Amino acid sequence: MTSSSVNSAILRAQAVTRQVNYHGQQLAILHDASLDVAAGESVAIVGASGSGKSTLLAILAGLDAASSGEVWLAGQPLSGLDEDGRALLRREQVGFVFQNFQLMPQFTALENVMLPLELAGRADARPAAAAMLQRVGLGHRLDHYPRHLSGGEQQRVALARAFVLRPALLFADEPTGNLDPATGQQIIELLFELNAEAGTALVLVTHDTTLAARCAAVYRLTAGVLARGEA
Amino acid sequence: MRRLSWLMGWRLLRRELKSGELTVLALALLVAVAAMSSVAFFADRIDSALTQQASQLLAADLVVNSRAPADPAWQQRAQAQGLRQVPTATFPSMVFAREQAVLANLKAVASGYPLRGEVQIRTRQGVKQGVYSPAPGELWADARLLQKMGLQLGDSVRLGSRSFVLAAKVLREPDGAVDVFNFIPRVLLNHADLAATGLVQDGSRIRYRLLLAGDAAQVKSYRDWLAPQLKPGTRLEDIEEARPEVRSALERARRFLGLTAILSVTLSAAAVALAVRRYLARHWQSVAVLRALGQTAPEVATVWGSLFLWLGLLAGVLGALAGYGVQALLVYLARQWLGDGLPPPGWLAWLTGPLSALILLAGFALPPLLALRRVPAMAVLRADVPAGSRSLLAPLLALVALLGLTAWQIGDGPLALWLLSGLGGFLAAVGLLAWGIVVLLRRVPLSGAVGWRHGAANLARRPWLAVIQIAALSVSLLALLTLTVVRDDLIGAWQRSLPPDAPDSFLINLQPPQRAELVQAFAKVGRSAPEALPMTRARLTEINGKPVKAADYTDERAQRLVEREFNLSWRDAANPRNQIVSGQWWQPGSKTPQFSLEEGLAETLRLKQGDTLTFDIAGTRWQAPVTSLRKVAWDSFQPNFFVIAPSGWMGDQAASYIASYRAPDAGFNNRLVAALPNVTVVDISAIVREVRAVIDRLALAIEAMFALTLAAGVLVLWAAMAATRDERLYDVALLRALGASRRQVRSVLLAELAWLGGVAGLMAGGGAMVLGALVAVQLFNLPLALNLWLLPLGMLAGGSVVALAAWPLLRRVTHTPPSEVLRAN
Repeated sequence: MTSSSVNSAILRAQAVTRQVNYHGQQLAILHDASLDVAAGESVAIVGASGSGKSTLLAILAGLDAASSGEVWLAGQPLSGLDEDGRALLRREQVGFVFQNFQLMPQFTALENVMLPLELAGRADARPAAAAMLQRVGLGHRLDHYPRHLSGGEQQRVALARAFVLRPALLFADEPTGNLDPATGQQIIELLFELNAEAGTALVLVTHDTTLAARCAAVYRLTAGVLARGEA
Repeated sequence: MRRLSWLMGWRLLRRELKSGELTVLALALLVAVAAMSSVAFFADRIDSALTQQASQLLAADLVVNSRAPADPAWQQRAQAQGLRQVPTATFPSMVFAREQAVLANLKAVASGYPLRGEVQIRTRQGVKQGVYSPAPGELWADARLLQKMGLQLGDSVRLGSRSFVLAAKVLREPDGAVDVFNFIPRVLLNHADLAATGLVQDGSRIRYRLLLAGDAAQVKSYRDWLAPQLKPGTRLEDIEEARPEVRSALERARRFLGLTAILSVTLSAAAVALAVRRYLARHWQSVAVLRALGQTAPEVATVWGSLFLWLGLLAGVLGALAGYGVQALLVYLARQWLGDGLPPPGWLAWLTGPLSALILLAGFALPPLLALRRVPAMAVLRADVPAGSRSLLAPLLALVALLGLTAWQIGDGPLALWLLSGLGGFLAAVGLLAWGIVVLLRRVPLSGAVGWRHGAANLARRPWLAVIQIAALSVSLLALLTLTVVRDDLIGAWQRSLPPDAPDSFLINLQPPQRAELVQAFAKVGRSAPEALPMTRARLTEINGKPVKAADYTDERAQRLVEREFNLSWRDAANPRNQIVSGQWWQPGSKTPQFSLEEGLAETLRLKQGDTLTFDIAGTRWQAPVTSLRKVAWDSFQPNFFVIAPSGWMGDQAASYIASYRAPDAGFNNRLVAALPNVTVVDISAIVREVRAVIDRLALAIEAMFALTLAAGVLVLWAAMAATRDERLYDVALLRALGASRRQVRSVLLAELAWLGGVAGLMAGGGAMVLGALVAVQLFNLPLALNLWLLPLGMLAGGSVVALAAWPLLRRVTHTPPSEVLRAN
């Protein structure tokens, strides 16, 4: 592994393994998973329920630590960082879109989108967030709370929040899982549009193979084993 | 970034207050702070009033208090040192006017009185304020006497064998007793008239007080000169010990209020703990989002830490204002004893509120707040509930916080510790019992309606939560039951302890030749005279040949008994109302020197049967062994004595006599006192009535605090209900989705709540029963009686209070469409 190959990939995983202790037995959830995501590239990870998709996503995004192996995010080896170090790295490089939206219920749509900007210390958080909400078609709902928005609208806010800082890397975990097909389709279109505009690398976790096919590369996860599949 | 976290905390606080997420927590803090502040304000105002008025209360800088007129040498010395002085004498006696006799506290003062402070009187010329004293032949009386006897200024009033003109009504007298428990009218006369009244006799209960005033150095040097020469029975009073009865009455009131406040605070603390737990449980998902978006653990902790800090300050300020209102109400209700001129509270008292809110939050919110730092960012992906904090830090911190607050509030560490260990013991017992019952509910197959079975099962499914809820509920129900049922029980029992035919009059100061007249007076109304018992003042000087000193004892009561003279009597036959608990009563006609002791006195002074005691009675030594110990019923309203000797031995000693009886008719006491002017008759029926009235008024003042305690109790209920609301919502949605009717769902929920309330009520009933019995036995010396009704009453109260408190929740739960709940989860 050369340092240049690490640097050219925005995300690189090498032989990542995750084991948990279950009633005294070591249970492997991930075996030797490796993958590369180049800057601006889109990658799908598909697999059935319980195949370890969420665990892999968590480790790749630095939300969880691997039992062994290494993950480089924006060139930084995650094993060398503690939880707070990984948080700072996420703050600068990573955006998220979740299946259940994960908006802060106490904050308005605008405040939810302002959050990453504020965390990054941006003085123009408010206008920038408002512009982003305008971009996702929610310019008229800035001051609405999540509980007053439909599922599709909540996911739009989540998209605005994920892209507002133009992160180098976006993780999307079943972004349409909680939406009806028509709304899901609109969200996917928006996701890819924004991805293209921002030049963000995308890691999309889904069990929907049609959706996966829109990505440049597809990895298949089966019982904890990751394999590069057909695009 | 720090600034951002603080701002975010503030933003969250505003939002969540509006949305109702923080309502229970905010109210719980508010109640706790209001309770603490009101007591702090009350205590502070009374303390500063006492300090400010101490000199005025004493009417002097220094007072020599003795049973005999002040030694002329002391007065010469005082004069030589440039001190001003005024002799006074006080004693109880009967006042005659308009063919009535009323017991009053007489005070004879020489001109120049008062040396400190001012008197305020109303004469025919109007209100006068300043240094005034009654002229010879004049008498001043307070409103109580004027009212009782229907007197007007200018009326003629007789004291002993001299008549006086009622010249003024006393509006304020600096060293007058404004004790809460003092209801005997007060009368002032000129010192020079004292002898002419003929009231000063052997055995009269006169207190001579020599008032002294001067600059601080003069007073101190005089004090240093006099103090070493004082004999027992004479003491110095200075502003430190001015008005001990007021100080101790208010101190008692303050302690009582403090204890009530602590109960409120404890309940509020339980509500705070439950509310914080629920609040944070509902927010760990938000924490996970912030962590995923890149906030570090310290930043996340700062967001919620600042939220709680802002909340604490807000609740502190508002609670302090509410506390000020409650305190103002207390002062208003107690204005007849406190007067209108209480100084405003100091700034420290204002700090109490915000500070106690912060202490409460530190004790109860900090541990779960610190646990927030451990919420993994991973939680955004998987809805695992993070493991709760298992460390002992939380309960320990909470305990320290409560102990600190309690000790601070009642200014009595050991008492606070007692109270908290009592509470802790109750909670532990309740917790164990509740755990047992919950386990039982899980094991025992219940038959019956679906509602009851599911309700019990629901409770058993969340055992820890059920135990916590039951414990919290029990404490608030215990408070409720104690404040309502047990209090009434105690007052009722106390009233019943006085038999209807109990003596209602005491007669004291009867001289030996007057005994025949007493018999005659009773014969006139066809009754036999009560037994008149001899009584003399005696001082204990030696035990087993060794001189007794107050310093030998650490117990305050023992010191007092040794320093002062107390009543000694003699008789031949044993008093049938006294029970001999050790040794034997002497043979009738015995001339053998010996004493019989009251067992409580023996215990206080560490005396036992066989010890030889020496008493000094008017300069004569009387030495004899103790041959028996007696148990005395002090509340029998019969004359009782600590020490009794055989008549055959001591019978020739000069003495005055005491008797108690039930007055044969309304005018009897007045006629008796008219015939025997030096005799003092104390009408106890009036005392009992007035004591009752005073207790009623004090109780009224304290109701305000009870209201706070009840509010706190209701809050705990609410918090306990809210703690499980989300889970219940989800359970119900599932049941509904599975086809349960609204009615079925309601019955399941109601049954669960009824179980919960019933179990908690049972525990609370048991607790209140034991508490009531303990208080009855320990404080009121009443026979042990367990009110078993408290158990079913507690269960009923628990079940219905919980069902009522939960009604809004039930409505919400059964009216929310299942889809909404299931989707949200």
